[in-house]
Order: sequence, then structure tokens, then C-alpha cells
Amino acid sequence: MRPAATGVIIAVDGINGAAILKTARAAAATIPRARRAGVSLWDASGLFGDLMIAPPAAGTPSARTLVLVYAADLAFRLRWEIRPAIEQGKTVVAAPYVATVVAFGRAAGLDAAWMEDLFAFAIRPDELLQVRARPSAHAGGRSGFVEFGRECLEALSPSAARAIAPRTLAKMTEAAAPRRPIAPRRPARER
Amino acid sequence: MRDFRARARERFTDPTRRRGFLVAFEGPDGSGKTTQRKLFKTWLRSEGHDVVTTKWNSSDLIKPIIKARKDARALSPEEFSLLHAADFRHRVEQQILPALWDGKTVIADRFLFTGLARDAARGLDLDWILKLYQPLLWPDLVFYFSVSSDTSSRRVTATRVPSFYESGRDVTNVDDPVESYYRFVTRVIREYESLSVIFNFLTVDAEQPMNQQHHHLRELYRQGENRPWSTWNEDAVAEWLALRGGRTAKGGA
Repeated sequence: MRPAATGVIIAVDGINGAAILKTARAAAATIPRARRAGVSLWDASGLFGDLMIAPPAAGTPSARTLVLVYAADLAFRLRWEIRPAIEQGKTVVAAPYVATVVAFGRAAGLDAAWMEDLFAFAIRPDELLQVRARPSAHAGGRSGFVEFGRECLEALSPSAARAIAPRTLAKMTEAAAPRRPIAPRRPARER
Repeated sequence: MRDFRARARERFTDPTRRRGFLVAFEGPDGSGKTTQRKLFKTWLRSEGHDVVTTKWNSSDLIKPIIKARKDARALSPEEFSLLHAADFRHRVEQQILPALWDGKTVIADRFLFTGLARDAARGLDLDWILKLYQPLLWPDLVFYFSVSSDTSSRRVTATRVPSFYESGRDVTNVDDPVESYYRFVTRVIREYESLSVIFNFLTVDAEQPMNQQHHHLRELYRQGENRPWSTWNEDAVAEWLALRGGRTAKGGA
């Protein structure tokens, strides 16, 4: 539930971690300093960092496990970064937010309704900036959630990972975007 | 996915082979279920079963992550719940379903009902918690070890001080771990009692002598071991097969 204050969440979602970060910083720079609360980034909780250093024998997480961990990371970001900002009436940029993980999950074959219920705890964003850049061929798993997720699925099963093609993800990200008008104050998008 | 469901059905309903069988042990801390689980496992092995045990919050991947954050007292109820669901899912995919597919008997020392009872006792919505565990994998039998809050508290606090999250200090606002544990386990037991009715647990009176409980377990198992496989589990097995691109450890593609 949204706190009773006038803060704003700008979600930045897409399939290229580096481009999401660049767009988020550009978006934050357009916010007046007095209202600016900064950028809430993927893995602020360090959960994925811990997954990355787990020994191979621990096993590779599936798409569903990754989505659950993403939800835990987002719960952390909401608790420590996003809610406090909007309770103070500030504008916070969440990069990425929900559309990215929903797109990833759908491309991996997870049920959209399941993810909608799972992320019911997340505050609906006021604006969504879709980053249309495709993933870099050289991007490692640390550059973003989608890159990390693709690496995991490729390790699990090359045939299952084929579904996580950039084109599919891009379509899914658009489909996952909330259907509400985006405010005219919008920074330049990544192409 | 339809093909994977058909393969799951075929595998688990094949009358010519022993099918995988899942038995869950549930109950509050101090109910003696771990002792009973060990006795039960020894007995099943003596009966010729190939037995695998899985414990709550025990995956090599997620457990260290949870432990570090528990030690730092850094988890909100939502984060606590989501990470335990992630640990559970990873074990389902890596340990439980592979063993069931190979026709083994899996004994789960706590199953998803632990997450439901504890997270609901922390004030989270039961429907939301249940969603975290989808696609659901239903055990063939659930043994519920029933004890009172007094017995659970007495047994747990006799040998140690309950930890921060075990005693529910994150939600009770009570500093004394023993008092907090009592209040929290009372809530947990209340949730378990509701789940017991909803999901048809087989209740074992955990206040009874150990030997008596064990013989009761054998009897309950004998009554339930020929239950047909639940087709509710098709989705969970099919997703696991799809995840592996249709490959399985044994039994062919």
C-alpha cells in the first residue's frame, strides 16, 4: 500500500543492466535537488552478490527461484530506500523495478498472474521509463538482473535458455509495463 | 508443458515400479519431530526403502544467505518469507523432485507448512504466502506433531535460549527471548491447527511417550502408503522437467 505522502516513484525497466543504470542516473539528474531521493538499484540487499559467489556445487537457481530472490531484494529496497523517500515526499528512481523481472519470468515460462500476485506488495510506480537497449553481447552477470538470470538459465539448460532471447524479453518488458500515461517530463531514452 | 505433464503422470502412476513417496514431518519446535523422523527413517530403510531426508532451510545456495541476514537481524517478515520460499524451491528442484522421480522415499523435516505457519504468525497474508510456494508439491502424508505452547516452550528453553527469529522477537516486541518464544509459538500452533484441518494432516500426539508415537507413525504410514499419486502435483513435476529441458538424472528423457 502506498504511504500517505506525495512522493513519486519513477521505475526504469529494460533488459540491459548498464543502460538501465545510465537512464536512471539521467532521470535522477532531472529531478530538482530538494525532491531528489536518489536511485534505488538492483541488488541493494546484496542477495544476488551472494548468489554469484556461491560454490558451483550449491546448484544453479531456476527462473522461479531467481524471481523469489528478486522479490526479497525488492522488499529490502522498498523498506530502506523507496518507502522512506516517498514518505518524505521525495522522488525516487527505481532501476530496475517490477516490469523487468516480470518480463524475465514470462520469457522463462512463469505464469504472469503468479508474478502479479507475488509483487502485490510493491508500490505502483508513477512513471515507467522503458530502456530499449538490447543486452550487450559482452555483458557479464554482474551488470544486471536479466544478464545474471540468462547466465543461470543457460547453465541449467541451453534449450530452456533459448526462450530468454533478447527479442522475447524486449516484447515482454513492453507487455509488463503498467498501462498508465507517462508524464511528459522524461529524460532521453537509451537506444 | 502438456507433454511434461503426461510424462509426470506416466512416471508416478506406473504400477510396475515403486513410485517416489513424500512424507512431511511438521510441528512447532520442541515437538520431538526430528527424533521421530530419525526413528522413522531407520524403520523405512529396514523395510527396504531407499530414503532421502531434506531439512527446512538447508540448501547450499540460499541457506548461507539467510543465516548471514538472520545473524544481523536484518530480515523483515516479507524478506524472511520470500527467502525461505526461495530455499524451498531450490531444494524441490535440486533434491526432492530428482529423488521422487527415481522412486525414492523423501522425508521432509518440515515442509512448506512451516513457512505458512510461521509467516502467518508473523502477520503475513496466508493466501500470499501460499502463492510463494506455487506450483505446489503436496506430500503424500503429512505427520503433524501436536504439542501445547507450554510443552514446546519448556522443551526448547530447557537447553538453550531461543534465537531472535526463532522466538519471534522481530514481531512480538518482547525483549525476553523466553517470554517472546512462548507468545510466538502460541501463534504458530494456532496457525498449524488451522492448516491441519485444511490440509488433512495426520496428527500425532507429541505429548505421548516416544515409543508410542513411533508405533503410531508406523500405523499411519501403513494406512496411507498405497494412496494414489496426487495429480495436483503434475504442474510442479512438469515445470521441473521443462527446467531441465526434459532431461532427468535417471530414467531417461
